[in-house]
Amino acid sequence: MTSRRDLSVTYAILGAFSLFALLPIVGIVFTAVQDQGALAAFGTFHGVHLGNFADAWRDGNFGTYLRSSAIVAISVVAAAVLLSILAGYAFGLMRFRGAEVLFYVFLLGLMIPTEAIIVPLYYDFRDLGLTDTYWALILPQAGTSVAFGTFWMRAYFRSVPRSLVEAARIDGASSWFTLWRVLLPLARPAVLTMTVLLFMWTWNEFLLALVMVSDEGLRTAPLGLSFFQGRNTSNLTLLAAGAVIVAMPVVVVYVFLQRHFIRGMLSGAVKG
Amino acid sequence: MAAVRFTDVSKRFGAVTAVRDLSLAIDDGEFVVLVGPSGSGKTTALRMLAGLESISAGEIAIGERVVNRVAPRERDIAMVFQDYALYPQMTVFDNLAFGLRRRKLPKERIGERVREAARLLDIGALLERKPGQLSGGQAQRVALGRALVRHPQVFLMDEPLSNLDAKLRTQTRGEIKRLQHEVRTTTVYVTHDQVEAMTMGDRIAVMNDGVLEQVGTPEELYERPTNRFVAGFIGSPAMSFFTAAAAAADDGGVRLRGEAIDLRLPFGRELPAGDVTVGVRPEGARLWRDGGGGLIGPLRGTVAYVEALGRETFVGVDVGDARLAVYEEGRTTLQPGDAVEFGLLADGLRFFSVESGEAIARGAARV
Amino acid sequence: MIGGSGLVAPPGEPRRIGYLYLAPGLLVFGAFVLVPLGHAFWLSLFEWDGVTAGTWIGLDNYGDVVSDPALRRAFWHALVLIGFYALLPVAIGLLLAGLLARARVRGLALFRTVLFLPQVIAMVVVAVMWRMIYDPSNGALNELLRAVGLGSLAQSWLGDFDLALSSLGLVGTWVYYGLAMVLLTAGVQKIPPSLYDAARVDGAGMVREFFAVTLPALRGEIAVALTLTTIYALRNFDLVYITTKGGPGEATSVPAFQVYSRAFESGQVGSAAAVGLCLTALIFAITFAINRTAERRPA
Repeated sequence: MTSRRDLSVTYAILGAFSLFALLPIVGIVFTAVQDQGALAAFGTFHGVHLGNFADAWRDGNFGTYLRSSAIVAISVVAAAVLLSILAGYAFGLMRFRGAEVLFYVFLLGLMIPTEAIIVPLYYDFRDLGLTDTYWALILPQAGTSVAFGTFWMRAYFRSVPRSLVEAARIDGASSWFTLWRVLLPLARPAVLTMTVLLFMWTWNEFLLALVMVSDEGLRTAPLGLSFFQGRNTSNLTLLAAGAVIVAMPVVVVYVFLQRHFIRGMLSGAVKG
Repeated sequence: MAAVRFTDVSKRFGAVTAVRDLSLAIDDGEFVVLVGPSGSGKTTALRMLAGLESISAGEIAIGERVVNRVAPRERDIAMVFQDYALYPQMTVFDNLAFGLRRRKLPKERIGERVREAARLLDIGALLERKPGQLSGGQAQRVALGRALVRHPQVFLMDEPLSNLDAKLRTQTRGEIKRLQHEVRTTTVYVTHDQVEAMTMGDRIAVMNDGVLEQVGTPEELYERPTNRFVAGFIGSPAMSFFTAAAAAADDGGVRLRGEAIDLRLPFGRELPAGDVTVGVRPEGARLWRDGGGGLIGPLRGTVAYVEALGRETFVGVDVGDARLAVYEEGRTTLQPGDAVEFGLLADGLRFFSVESGEAIARGAARV
Repeated sequence: MIGGSGLVAPPGEPRRIGYLYLAPGLLVFGAFVLVPLGHAFWLSLFEWDGVTAGTWIGLDNYGDVVSDPALRRAFWHALVLIGFYALLPVAIGLLLAGLLARARVRGLALFRTVLFLPQVIAMVVVAVMWRMIYDPSNGALNELLRAVGLGSLAQSWLGDFDLALSSLGLVGTWVYYGLAMVLLTAGVQKIPPSLYDAARVDGAGMVREFFAVTLPALRGEIAVALTLTTIYALRNFDLVYITTKGGPGEATSVPAFQVYSRAFESGQVGSAAAVGLCLTALIFAITFAINRTAERRPA
């Protein structure tokens, strides 16, 4: 029983805030497609000029940066998803001594920010001669991702009806068979949500790349953008194009799988 | 086919004892129902038999083998769960074949068994569907089928009918019983519904608070309950109870005196003097007509409710602080609030000790 | 093992094999999160420039967090940012949730998609974006002000000692108000309308309804929103690095940036480690406090 006035006020507010959320993004896209010469200011629109993207890709080296990000993101996500499914399965459906304590450790690990461990990570990797390698980017992020992923998959496995697992046990399925052939086909939405969230966090990670990597060929996209900005304070269109390129992959995945992103974040997903 | 035996089986969860010293022998091919209210331990007992719970004390044997430490898959049992637990992403055929494939049965044998079970349960048309596309009744039959194909030594059923609507439940009850009769596999069936127990079981084991109260045929439980709990649990509508003081009467009988109650029984000398709990089966209480006609009474009270079921009516009457159900054939004009007189049939009465709840057998020595 | 407390496993139930499933994940997590955490603590007990040998100074680095004005300022700034990143967005979200409480809005999914978008974008990109917007000469903000005749208000948003921190804070508000809105409106949809009807019958006006029905019911969602956004506020590094690098002066210095600059620019590794751990402790404490408060009052 809402009055027409209440409803329009609500729509107006929703609309205003949505617009405000969208404006800077639209602005930078417009800037990215502007002709360099005709540039007036941020966000003005004078027609579409896609050459900036090609320039950014070549001269700005964003092609290399994207490839690097892709290698890191795919490795981290693949490893973390696998390990999280295994660990989440154990915590969710098996009873063993110390399970509770171990899980609390994972839970606390969720809240440990990269900022707390970046310093020792750098020096340890340096001593091992592994800075400026993909390992330096993949391994630490795999660690923090597994903390989140385990928490997430455990929550999922705990929601599975016990009787299903018991029926499989009586039917003679091993724990491995039950996991992969009985439970996982059902877990697709949960695994997908975890995958997109981990992908987003890994792709967007900046501090780790900044500290670990100096070789330009290994720079991930956010790091590449930061250097690009340092070199190009005047060439706004190119910078904007680079920024759009960096943000694109996650945004594209988001547009197609937004349900999963939103569901994941709404359940309080937080990663260190 | 095998016999099942529980010997002094107990199950403790921390400080809570869910099952206490359960001893029960089930014959090969018998259909035994474990019945009781929630928390009675019946499901825990079944799960221990299945191997889904560990045993705190005692022994469980299937056939000649003590299976305490044996994994469920080695026990040669099959179980039907309350929520059916069908594998959601597999077709009905794969659901039925699952256990057989895990046991490496050859493909042709699997096909044979699945088709046989499908025929017995009339689910042949559903073999290519997924569980999500089945109705409740169909899913339940597939769950039964999954147990059937295994040709196990024992069937275990955990309230398989609870999720069905009343009509389907009654229908399926009969089907399960018929099926069991055909395959003659030892079956242990758990339910909280005593009507289900009475209509399905060869024998019934009544459990309460972890303890086995009584085990016997439906008739034994109904006619000769060994304690107040069993008497009040079995039978629908339930037995009514009131407390009275028994004293020997001059004419050789017994006089029962309670609040608003004064009865003379022509029998019962074996009842100890003092308070006793009297149980009355609803059909053992009738409205007082034409001087009683052989009924014991009269008892006078106020009508509390009228349950008209068409062919018969049960009238709840408040007498003192007790409420007794009285049977009347056909319909009645009584309304709540009316004053009413009724009497008791001698063989509808049972007596129980007020302290222990144990039945005081007629003709037995003083307790 | 008969006669146990129920922790004895039924036969055939996977037990010790659980350790096997857990091992790989635990190993990776332990090696690259837990061990470094311990190592960070170890490092924090030294004064070290990262090159030569370090000197043991015990807990002095932690003492600095309290006594060193630079660090005190950084943490103070972090708290200020919590106001922008967490409190402001949640307030906005509550406003909308209050309005939405009795409305059935169609197309909510579309709004949700748009409102959520800022969070999905890498913070580095957000920083680049807003740096352009805040640009004093031809940034969008100043251009807009000039266009509507308020050119006198045009500032060097990121270059002004007094405005820089707030300017950064507003970026955070922009990123996170969508999350708060979506979270809280989702929670509001779950409130049974009968509660509002009951309140209305009791004579409650819109404001009363908000405080009596909406707010208590959203306790859980508010806790989640506050927790997430507070953690992001405290961990704020990318934004500061790209836009101001802690400047002008120390106007936008934040703990995360202090960790970076001390460890990798000024050779104070031990201090950096200590700051990082203090940040972690702060995160733990605030998260704990938020969730404790949310749970305490009975529903």
